[in-house]
Amino acid sequence: MDNVNILIIEDTPEESDALSNVLLANNYNIVGVARSLKEALTMFYNAKVDIAIVDVFLDGTPDGITFAETINIVPDARRPFVFLTSSTDRQIFERAKLTQPFSYLIKPFNELEILYAIEMAVEKFYGQTDVFLSEEEDTVISTEYLFIKKGKALKKVFLSDIIYIEVEEKYCNIITEKEKFVILISLTKILELLDNSDFCRTHRNYIVNIEKITEIIPGDNLILLSGNHKATLSDTYKNIIKKVRTLK
Amino acid sequence: MGIRTKAIFFPLFLTISTLLFSQQKTNTSLFEKEIKKRSTQFSDKPNFNKAQSFYLAKEWDSTLVYTMKQLNVTTNTEELKNYCHLFRGHSFFQKKTLKEAKRELLMVSKTFYFYNRVKMILGTIALEQSKFKDATHYFKEIEHLSTYELYGIKKSNIEHNLGICYLHLKEFDAAEPYLIKSLKLQEEQKDTLGLIGTYGNIASLYYEQYKDQQAIPYFEKAYRLSKTTTDYTAKQNTARNMAVVEENRKNLSQSLVYRKEYEKWRDSLNDQNKIWEVAELEKQFAVKQKQKEVQVLQAENKIKIAERNGFLYSAIVLLVVLAAGVYFYREKVKTNAIITKQKETLDELNATKDKLFSIVSHDLRSSVHALKTSNTKLVDNLENKNLEVLDGLLQNNSAIVNGAYNLLDNLLHWALLQTQQSYFEITSIRLFFIVEQIAYNYKPLMLEKNVDFKNKVSKSDMVYADQESLKIILRNLIDNAIKFSNPDGEIKIYSRNTDDIYCELIVEDSGVGMNENTRLDLLKDSVLLSKKENENTIGTGLGLQLCKSMIKKNKGKFSVKSELGKGTKMIVSLPKTPPNG
Repeated sequence: MDNVNILIIEDTPEESDALSNVLLANNYNIVGVARSLKEALTMFYNAKVDIAIVDVFLDGTPDGITFAETINIVPDARRPFVFLTSSTDRQIFERAKLTQPFSYLIKPFNELEILYAIEMAVEKFYGQTDVFLSEEEDTVISTEYLFIKKGKALKKVFLSDIIYIEVEEKYCNIITEKEKFVILISLTKILELLDNSDFCRTHRNYIVNIEKITEIIPGDNLILLSGNHKATLSDTYKNIIKKVRTLK
Repeated sequence: MGIRTKAIFFPLFLTISTLLFSQQKTNTSLFEKEIKKRSTQFSDKPNFNKAQSFYLAKEWDSTLVYTMKQLNVTTNTEELKNYCHLFRGHSFFQKKTLKEAKRELLMVSKTFYFYNRVKMILGTIALEQSKFKDATHYFKEIEHLSTYELYGIKKSNIEHNLGICYLHLKEFDAAEPYLIKSLKLQEEQKDTLGLIGTYGNIASLYYEQYKDQQAIPYFEKAYRLSKTTTDYTAKQNTARNMAVVEENRKNLSQSLVYRKEYEKWRDSLNDQNKIWEVAELEKQFAVKQKQKEVQVLQAENKIKIAERNGFLYSAIVLLVVLAAGVYFYREKVKTNAIITKQKETLDELNATKDKLFSIVSHDLRSSVHALKTSNTKLVDNLENKNLEVLDGLLQNNSAIVNGAYNLLDNLLHWALLQTQQSYFEITSIRLFFIVEQIAYNYKPLMLEKNVDFKNKVSKSDMVYADQESLKIILRNLIDNAIKFSNPDGEIKIYSRNTDDIYCELIVEDSGVGMNENTRLDLLKDSVLLSKKENENTIGTGLGLQLCKSMIKKNKGKFSVKSELGKGTKMIVSLPKTPPNG
């Protein structure tokens, strides 16, 4: 599990410092603190940013909104963001609201509020609302990562790092090369959200990363995966063989 | 002798005319019928028809006009021309233009059905023109015809006229039998005026022949008869004849009497005429007078109508003006009432605002003052390196600043709420996390007061509200709960999801509570602020007022349950469904 990368766009050092402290304390990774729009855009395109926290007013102008508007132009480069503002001025809000999906936080805020706001931004951005706050689920799936709520903060897992997923009722055991952990998500949802050219169901309880398959032994109903992991292959899902690249 | 004759001759003329006229009057119907009957063959000639009807109606001028029109048409038959000439001749005769009449009548052909009538009129004209021989000639021609053939011309009339003719021609022997015959006829008919004339004529007849013995009784008869009539001319003539007779008898005194009578009658005739004239004038005058009166009355009427209309219009105008006045007055009164009401509200609001100002500034002043003294102490202690006290002082300062900050925050939100400037968006919110986030700020405060805090809100309970306003509500409620909690007290926040529409969020403390009056005051929908009984716990009541306003804006409900000394429950009910479905 990796820490989530956060870009802070805030012109007031005291506030950015306080924010950094809170985020660091909750195991977030700060990839940069931008003071201006230009800086922010440079940092955003150069670093791997997962979430941006944007102060609406940079040096007295609503450049924060401009930033959001700018990054929204390129669909693949879009990332979740949270607006910070000290005023609830309606006109500003009406403009900010157009940069869908829209999450905001009013200053001053406490630790819980900023963590909550980040979670909300991720949920809204990936269109999987009501995940982190519910007791049934704790994971949002993007095209690249799993965002998993661990304690108060979010963690991320590269989808390509996953070897296989073993489903146990409403839990899923995620097995990567380095670790093994449990997330809360329903099977149907995970099947729906994972790209089925990368992941394939081999059994009622197994979802396997096709890239990690080393050997398929149909006679034993067994799939050998990298890192000496094994997954069961049931008859229902035997057509997986067609999907796997084989040497001919 | 010459004088005598002259004197008597004069009245004869009148008698003839009168006779002819009266005869015609009484016998027209027969003549009319015959004319109508005979002339139906010309019914397709409108001019002739009109001429005929005017003729029968004795409208002589109109008859002349239409007969002329008919005669101008070239296609007339002989018979039609005869009728026209007859009508014209008769009309001219009636108009006393005798020459024209004669000319017209002579144009009538001798074979005409009514030629006897023509002869009769021609005879009469000749008589009028003193052409006695011609007259005698005409009369003689029709003398022996039967009455039927004459169509209403009386035989006596012809005989009488013949008599007169002979009388004038001095052929007394021929005249006598005619006059006597006509006399007899007149006696039969009791024609008084005719009798007087005939008596006079017979008398003249004898008198001309100097047969005074025979003449005088007739004169006397005529005179006596004239007494019984009202005809002044007859009276005058008979009296004059008597006067001439008496004068010739040398009976001058008697003559004078008659002469006087004659003059009297002449005068009275004149008088009569004058009276008539005067009467006519009087009549005309009276008519004029009446006309004037009528005009005056009409003018008066006009004036009256004009006055009445004027009154009416002015009344209407006045009424309209009055109505408009009343309307505007009432409008004004209404507006005034509204303005007064608004003014009262405004005054009240202003007073509240002033009060709010004074309380807020007082509170802030106290806070800042406390901070100032605390800082002085802090500096003193720092100099003395009395580090243990520093911690307590800093904690104290932090609490003071927190309170002041909350107050200012509320003030800001209050102002934003009043001016509707704030962003407001209703979204679904999980109550538990919001409570957690807000309570997080108060953890140190609660720890300090050693208040036990429990968030027992169900994680699944969701409401629809604006996140920021819900946070403000919660901040105030939790702040209040801490403020009114006793040390080592307990604060519980929990939800109750039993209603279909609302989810209740309850902030319960085990603090001082409040009495019923305070509770009701709190719930009052007014901005009136009252200073708390509890003087050392500062507060303006602004917080709760703000809560109530925010809850209202979120379409929620607010209630308070409290028991003095045992604690308070603040209950916020928020909708579970988004507004407008």
